[in-house]
Amino acid sequence: MSWVGRSIRRVEDPALLCGAGTFVGDIGGAASARFVRSPVASGLVRAVRGPAYTIADLDADEVGNIEAVLHRPDYVRLAQPLLARERVRYVGEPVAVVVGATAAEAEDLAEQVELDIEPLPAAVGLEAALAPGAPLVHPSESESNVMVAGEMATPGLAEALEGAHAIVELEITSGRQAALPLEARGSHAVTERFGGRTTLHASIQAPHMIRTVICDLLGMPEADLRVVAPDVGGAFGQKLPLAREDAVVVWLSRRLGRPVAWIEDRSENLMASWHSREQRYRLRAGFDASAHLEALQADVAANVGAWPCYPITWGVEPLMALAELPGPYTLEHYGVRSRGVASHTCPMSPYRGVSRPVITLALERLMDIAAARLGVDPVEIRRRNLQSDFPHTSPTGLRHDEGTYREAMEQAVSHVDLGAFRARQHAARAAGGPQPGIGICTFSERTGYGTPAFAARAMGVTPGYENVELSMDPSGYVTLRIGASPHGQGLETALSQIVADEVGTDPGRVRVVASDTDRTPYGWGSFASRAMVLAGGATYLAAQKLASQLGSLAAEVLEAAADDIVLADGRATVAGTSVGVEVAELARIAHHHTQRLPAGATPGLSAQAGYDPAGTFSNACHVAEVDVDPDTGGVSMRRFVVVEDAGRLINPMIADGQIRGGVAQGIANALLEEVVYDDDGNILTTSLMDYLPPTVAEIPDIEILHLETVSDATVTGAKGLGEGGTIGAPAAVLNAVNDALAHLGVELNEMPATPERVRAAVRAAAGRSPAGENDRSTQEAPVR
Amino acid sequence: MKPARFAYTAPDTVEGTLDALDRFGDEAKVLSGGQSLVPMMNFRLARPEVIVDIGRVGGLDGMSAANGTLTVGARVIHARLEVPAVTTPDGRREPLGGVLGSLLPEVARFVGHLPIRVRGTFGGSIAHADPAAEWCILARTLDAEMVALRRGGERAIPAADFFETVFTTALAPEELLVAVRLPILGDDWRAGFCEFSRRAGDFAVVAGMTAVRLEPATGAIAEARVGVGGVAGVPVRLGGAEATLVGETPGAELHAAAAETAAGEVDPVGDLHGSAAYRRDLVRAMVARALAQGAGASG
Ligand SMILES: Cc1cc2nc3c(=O)[nH]c(=O)nc-3n(C[C@H](O)[C@H](O)[C@H](O)COP(=O)(O)OP(=O)(O)OC[C@H]3O[C@@H](n4cnc5c(N)ncnc54)[C@H](O)[C@@H]3O)c2cc1C
Repeated sequence: MSWVGRSIRRVEDPALLCGAGTFVGDIGGAASARFVRSPVASGLVRAVRGPAYTIADLDADEVGNIEAVLHRPDYVRLAQPLLARERVRYVGEPVAVVVGATAAEAEDLAEQVELDIEPLPAAVGLEAALAPGAPLVHPSESESNVMVAGEMATPGLAEALEGAHAIVELEITSGRQAALPLEARGSHAVTERFGGRTTLHASIQAPHMIRTVICDLLGMPEADLRVVAPDVGGAFGQKLPLAREDAVVVWLSRRLGRPVAWIEDRSENLMASWHSREQRYRLRAGFDASAHLEALQADVAANVGAWPCYPITWGVEPLMALAELPGPYTLEHYGVRSRGVASHTCPMSPYRGVSRPVITLALERLMDIAAARLGVDPVEIRRRNLQSDFPHTSPTGLRHDEGTYREAMEQAVSHVDLGAFRARQHAARAAGGPQPGIGICTFSERTGYGTPAFAARAMGVTPGYENVELSMDPSGYVTLRIGASPHGQGLETALSQIVADEVGTDPGRVRVVASDTDRTPYGWGSFASRAMVLAGGATYLAAQKLASQLGSLAAEVLEAAADDIVLADGRATVAGTSVGVEVAELARIAHHHTQRLPAGATPGLSAQAGYDPAGTFSNACHVAEVDVDPDTGGVSMRRFVVVEDAGRLINPMIADGQIRGGVAQGIANALLEEVVYDDDGNILTTSLMDYLPPTVAEIPDIEILHLETVSDATVTGAKGLGEGGTIGAPAAVLNAVNDALAHLGVELNEMPATPERVRAAVRAAAGRSPAGENDRSTQEAPVR
Repeated sequence: MKPARFAYTAPDTVEGTLDALDRFGDEAKVLSGGQSLVPMMNFRLARPEVIVDIGRVGGLDGMSAANGTLTVGARVIHARLEVPAVTTPDGRREPLGGVLGSLLPEVARFVGHLPIRVRGTFGGSIAHADPAAEWCILARTLDAEMVALRRGGERAIPAADFFETVFTTALAPEELLVAVRLPILGDDWRAGFCEFSRRAGDFAVVAGMTAVRLEPATGAIAEARVGVGGVAGVPVRLGGAEATLVGETPGAELHAAAAETAAGEVDPVGDLHGSAAYRRDLVRAMVARALAQGAGASG
């Protein structure tokens, strides 16, 4: 019986559920570092007074600058110091650091530090940063705030737009969001008294890559830094880039010769960790008479904050938008300009889905608006435009492997019973009160990014491959060492299922070692939707090698042909017979009776493998049902349906967990969460009273159905799905909100669709003046 | 996120508490459920030098009814108002009746989340004086009286004088809030409460409470109270809306007219969670719905 495909329980959970996990904050025994952060968005640092370390101390130790690079002519290269030097560029930028015996004492010390900063005008929002004469974020390096700009057009775009039967224009905007991991960032460094080796425990996603960059900055050999990611309480991309603070903590522990820890608090996390997704899309789309999308022209701008992130850079959002905007549709003509615009705000990192939640919002709003304009049903317009011949090559050259775009949508629509919904909606419109709406979103999720996909980005370092090492010990248990760095996804469980099937053992006899540079092969950690594809693929290949070693050994012991050996249920058996030997006994022989091995065989049982595919596309259809209260603008979620195709499911329960969490974040993005700055660049959302993640009350049950198109794009047949929930949900929700209020003439293309924005859209549609004059909407709707 | 240094004392008696407050004056802060004070200290928005914890003081968590008045002890936790019960003079506990008896649970469920409702206290909420706090709106709308003790003196402060501005009340640093008196509201009253918040358990963006007394003979409104929170530094009474209601017969049209008056007479200040114009819209909706709810409850 196969272990792959079964929803076995996660080995990760018991410790976490019993409060027995070990997070950075649980390590203890260290002095507390506290960063003194800029209170202004832009300014010149005249002096720092008080008991603090500053950039001058780092400079004296010849600590280097972070260089996050894209090798593109349109990219502005910068050298970023670990603490602000001369200039501060956002509220929350670290300027100095203090060290106290406890966190409270460090906070007291930080209060004593006096920052003498001359404030300068700040460019805060996208429009402000793009305006002529805008204050520049990096005046010595760039004459504008545009830090990266990509442009492309297929030949014939202009003609196609000109000849279109209908042109639909649309502007959509996405508010700034925070990934908001439950555990904020943190690091803990101990330097050995003799030999000077440092161990860094940090709440991060890519320990090997972080080791490299910190060693580059501090000028130390990588062999002298061990980086461990212990239990990590969520990351979502926010813990992928180098945190300046983590590098400073390593420096402090080496300089002071004592253990130093920095545990980020929630306000710091909201203010000065990484943000994401502040984007604006202007679309001009040409449709033919039968509602086929023929040509799309887009202008994309992303507010990428004050600094790039290492190693992904601030190109990640705008350039992903450029490359992936055509989405799951078959359009032929495409042109785009996409810019990353610096501003005096917190820097950006990738956040689950990266640009795709916004890309998808843009496309899916476009489809619904075009459908209404052309008198076609929202389902029908998608049916006519979704890819169905595979492989499909997009106008930007992306190759889509086989997917089920239409099938997923048809299944989702029949599952929700659209006809019954419309009847209910019709009745509610007549009755007044809360208005039901339904929204559909179809999308593709590019997953399993390997080296080829990253190489196309021309980053200073090219992530991609994953390596694993697999060995069987004399007791017959298997240890799998991976370069990926799971942090809650259940990867250990899923990989143990793959190993168990290949070597004929039980997942309970597989141990996975991860997230420790001393104990694992170099790898890129866990980010994007890639661990199952990459680490899973490498595990599968290594497990096959180990199986073949066991097969040869069993053949020798059983005096049979290696091809006839079957590994199952902990035994190696000669096919078609009951002749066999326990795998555990083979493991003993391989280590303790090597005289019985075939001549020339290597003692022991171990294998290693790497995997580095080009990538693959998952797909899904999301359907959201909402109730919208036109009087308050309040939106409540009624129902959420996902039909997902991520290829072969290794552990369906884990896949569902990934989808559910992602959808919850997507709903949050659509309705609740927004980082807000005032015009001077002061951040207003620095606590969870103001930055609003959903509670369980705001998230409906999420119904999940699966299609399993097994792709030849990966060796396991599995595709990634870690980001899909987040990608599809915002568009489904906004389409539903618009559908609910369509009869009032509302069009709302901004997320989050806060109650105030929804209410304003209702007012705007009614064409009435604001603030109580002649507003009759309350009277029209019977009160509850 | 760690509080500044403070000294801590936990008296066992009201007298001990009053002594401590007297001694430390404005350097001291009373700690009740800690659900507002502790977060403020962690943000270092509050830096009391001395914490006077009243968690061990007996006799502050009673509820009793007499002469049409409910007396709620300052240390009664929010959760107890979800199933309000009073202790009779002979020591029995019985459910609180009257219109207030059905209104309190309606309101209590909006206060935070369960873990907050089992720690946070009625008196703490009143003394904290958040302008959107449900209990403050209720106290203002029903003209509650706050009973304050200091060494050698007691006074009752009417709600109209008690709430001065955001997080600021008429309580002197030496005074301890010991109880709040609320009218039980007889059967001729109709009360309703409605609030809009961003998420379950959040403070209201705007909340509205209405209570009207009907003339038994005519069914016309003899007395009306309309209170809203989330539009000013304190919960406010809306005299215009009240005047619109008095003398008229309840009904959808009258409710809409009163709601419109209410929206017109507030002068909200906008913030992150709602502009002035939006808050005015919410006042209209909340007042209309509270009135409808009250009218519905009668049938
Ligand atoms: C996540 C969260 C959500 C919340 N949501 C809501 C909500 O929706 N609605 C709402 O109303 N509240 C909400 N609260 C606040 C909660 O209701 C608090 O319980 C309440 O505001 C304060 O009561 P407490 O007993 O905790 O007082 P404490 O926090 O101990 O004290 C609050 C203030 O009152 C003073 N004080 C307390 N008792 C006395 C006394 N007897 N005499 C004199 N001064 C005194 C203290 O010195 C302090 O200044 C929320 C809190 C949290 C953490």
